Amino acid sequence: MLQESVVRRVLEEALQTGGDFSELFVEDSEHNSVRMLDGAVENATYSRSRGAGVRVFKGTRSVYATTADTSEEALLRTARAAAAALDGAPEGRVSAFQAIRYAIPAATPLTEMENAGRAAFLRRAHQAAKSTSDEITQIIARVRDECQRVLVCNSEGVWAEDVRPRVHFIVQAVAMNGAEAQTGFSSRGFLGGYERLDTLDVEAEARRAAQSAATMLHAPECPAGYMPVVIDSGNGGVIFHEACGHSLEATSVAKGNSEFCGKLGQRIAASCVTALDDGMLPGEWGSLRVDDEGTPSGRRVLIENGILRSYMIDRLGSRMMNLPVTGNARRESYEYAPTSRMTNTFIAPGTDDEEEMIRTMGDGLFAKSLGGGSVNPLTGEFNFAVDEGYLVRDGKIQTPVRGATLVGKGSEILMQIDRVGTKLALDSSGQCGSISGWVPVDVGQPRIRVKGLTVGGKGGAL
Amino acid sequence: MMTWEEFRRQAFDAALQNGCDAAESYFVAGDSFSVQILDGDVDKYDVSRTCGFGLRVQVGGKNGYAYTEVADDPAALVRHAMDNAAVTENNDEHPMQGACEYVTVTRPENRALALSEREKIELALDMERRARALDPRVKRMGYDLVASGTSRVEIHNTKGLCAVREEEDSYSFLEPIMEQDGEMRDGGAFRVRSEMLDVDSLVKEAVEETAAQFGAKPVPAGTYDIVLRYDAAADLLSAFSSMFSADMAQKGLSLLAGREGETVAASCVDIIDDPLYSYSPRAFDDEGTPSVTKTVVEKGVLKTLLHNLKTAKKAGVESTSNASRSASSPVSVAPSNFYIPAGERDLKTLLTTMGNGLLITTLEGTHAGVNPVSGDFSLSARGFVVEDGKIGRPVERITVAGSFIPLLSAVQEVGCDLKFGIPGDGSIGSPSLFITGVAVSGQA
Repeated sequence: MLQESVVRRVLEEALQTGGDFSELFVEDSEHNSVRMLDGAVENATYSRSRGAGVRVFKGTRSVYATTADTSEEALLRTARAAAAALDGAPEGRVSAFQAIRYAIPAATPLTEMENAGRAAFLRRAHQAAKSTSDEITQIIARVRDECQRVLVCNSEGVWAEDVRPRVHFIVQAVAMNGAEAQTGFSSRGFLGGYERLDTLDVEAEARRAAQSAATMLHAPECPAGYMPVVIDSGNGGVIFHEACGHSLEATSVAKGNSEFCGKLGQRIAASCVTALDDGMLPGEWGSLRVDDEGTPSGRRVLIENGILRSYMIDRLGSRMMNLPVTGNARRESYEYAPTSRMTNTFIAPGTDDEEEMIRTMGDGLFAKSLGGGSVNPLTGEFNFAVDEGYLVRDGKIQTPVRGATLVGKGSEILMQIDRVGTKLALDSSGQCGSISGWVPVDVGQPRIRVKGLTVGGKGGAL
Repeated sequence: MMTWEEFRRQAFDAALQNGCDAAESYFVAGDSFSVQILDGDVDKYDVSRTCGFGLRVQVGGKNGYAYTEVADDPAALVRHAMDNAAVTENNDEHPMQGACEYVTVTRPENRALALSEREKIELALDMERRARALDPRVKRMGYDLVASGTSRVEIHNTKGLCAVREEEDSYSFLEPIMEQDGEMRDGGAFRVRSEMLDVDSLVKEAVEETAAQFGAKPVPAGTYDIVLRYDAAADLLSAFSSMFSADMAQKGLSLLAGREGETVAASCVDIIDDPLYSYSPRAFDDEGTPSVTKTVVEKGVLKTLLHNLKTAKKAGVESTSNASRSASSPVSVAPSNFYIPAGERDLKTLLTTMGNGLLITTLEGTHAGVNPVSGDFSLSARGFVVEDGKIGRPVERITVAGSFIPLLSAVQEVGCDLKFGIPGDGSIGSPSLFITGVAVSGQA
């Protein structure tokens, strides 16, 4: 994307005021998106982004400057704008580059995909959702593909190039009867070309979304209270992602803003809990070959049988924490400085029977599908919407319930897990948002049980 | 590479020569600056320059979009846009605005604009120093941020539209982290524009917000009367603002569809959408339609939904100047300055009127725990117990659940403390609201 001599001049320019590390990130990306509403293509968009960011460190101070113009003159100007934030004499040097080139192959190059093919795919989803229930009043389906080409170089000699094709599909079904409406979602995404969507049972995904909306339309409000909760496999993993994963990112840990600071080697979860962040899973939505600082991605055990084993650490976090980088540095685009982020994060399979954990739970909630949530990493307080939930009485699933939320603290829920099932499922619905923008991630887990959790709802007391 | 003006001219020519009926460009260029302070030094410093060119073409009544940040090949961008128009099956007419006259809007006074980068850094350093000096329980800064930016939007089309606006803005944000007996708390406050220069007031609010949370715990589940403080109320209004979009209504995604003229809120509730309002004024929307002020809800009755040119045509009404887009996305609908106007009495009086209940100061996760299609919400909340009108112990780890329209109908009184959030995508404002009969759950 750029000549070595140009990159060297930019990295040197950025070090003119006393920085001890400089980095150049260049990106050239194309995106296509087609959206179908009520069985007809509503709109289609194409976009191309190109730009660069220059980052400079002096110790643990960081400076970032970006530009949408990637000419040498603009890159040098951007390097000077970054350097201007520091006020020392030149000290740092630029080492010889060790080039590593990565590329994820796309069997069907995205540039050869026609809009007609995208629309035909969406039509399959629409028809499957529509035929699921007469109460489905609206269906929105969208397919999006992108190809991100990146170059990351730094003054320590990293030169990494990567090509990252991704495809993503989402369907939302709405069931409505007069004054009430409920929604159901399903989505999948992959690192790779359209051949990955060919392997997907799009009709099943669409039917699942429609069935969820129709079921919830007739569900009573969820009762509130403190109760045992069984959280199903797949997107139930969002709770680990939000309530624990974010608190294990250097972004929180390095500055002491996490409830898991200083706990390496200590018990932070029940002994049935092992959790990983694995950016190397082939073709998964959250996977990476190399991160946005040029560090190869990896498979990392975060929690092993309840003991905290690792954080997720980017270069700046590494400087603050005196721990090595973990290949988790990510950014949405050149407009953001990278920071520590998750990739594919999940609770590993355990040994418990999926049916037994409901049968023996007494009265409580079975959360089959979770919506979004949020967490305050400092206190670990979290809040999740339950998109599809079922009330359990005396160990038997009794009725669907709507409007439930799960509220608690990351450190408490981890200790409260008393069952971990055997069947791991990943879920790629998500984009995770943080200070370096939105990045694709997978969440996942087998079915688990939490002994006690605060459930919010407006259906009175349990 | 060519200038963006030349790129636009060539793109319009290529579009018309290749059979497009019309073409429109939406160009954005911006600069931004932000600095974050930690432990008496610059921790993060960001400067950015962005620009992007969005093209919309119309072919046989269908719209197609394409966007680029690289001014290299206008003909290729037109091909992408025409491809995207060809696959579109929506036949709703989407008029393009022609040449218009615009009023001149006056941006709010901003004495912070005169600050140099060095002075902005000094301001941020001063915020940290004063926060530490104010209360020894302040351990460090979660955020200590000063940010500013300018943006220029240019909309042109082949029907003669030429609409250009430049905006600048700046704000500061402070989130101290405080510790007492091993308990850590964070809480924030922000200031915009000239207010940024009053550092003491910002620091006092941020530290008081944080310190007030020490010892917070849940309350028993039940039905409570609440006062939703202005900032929590504005967050909730913002999360449900898409219910007022005619675009969502026409797509069957809003329960307010077809309910103009009906009562949707208590009679003490008005909702205004005013693009010209002094908080963040603009002369035209993202289709170039001149700004119109309208009452969306008047004494609890829904008067109008928010329209762009397409939804207005379909509904047989005029655009309410609520077209919204980014350079890379299709035209949609969004509020401008969207707010519940102030009532007469202050927060303290609302609490006295309520007597016993909860003061809710924070709603967390409004991006996730809210469903604008169903109108349902269930949100993690923080606040205080209120007894005999007096603020008592702090409360956390509770959820407040309900449905937006019934909640608006349960508003008993609107406070006089109207406040807007940090200016950004739409400026949403609300006074504090006294609401009865809200479902709250907490730990047993």
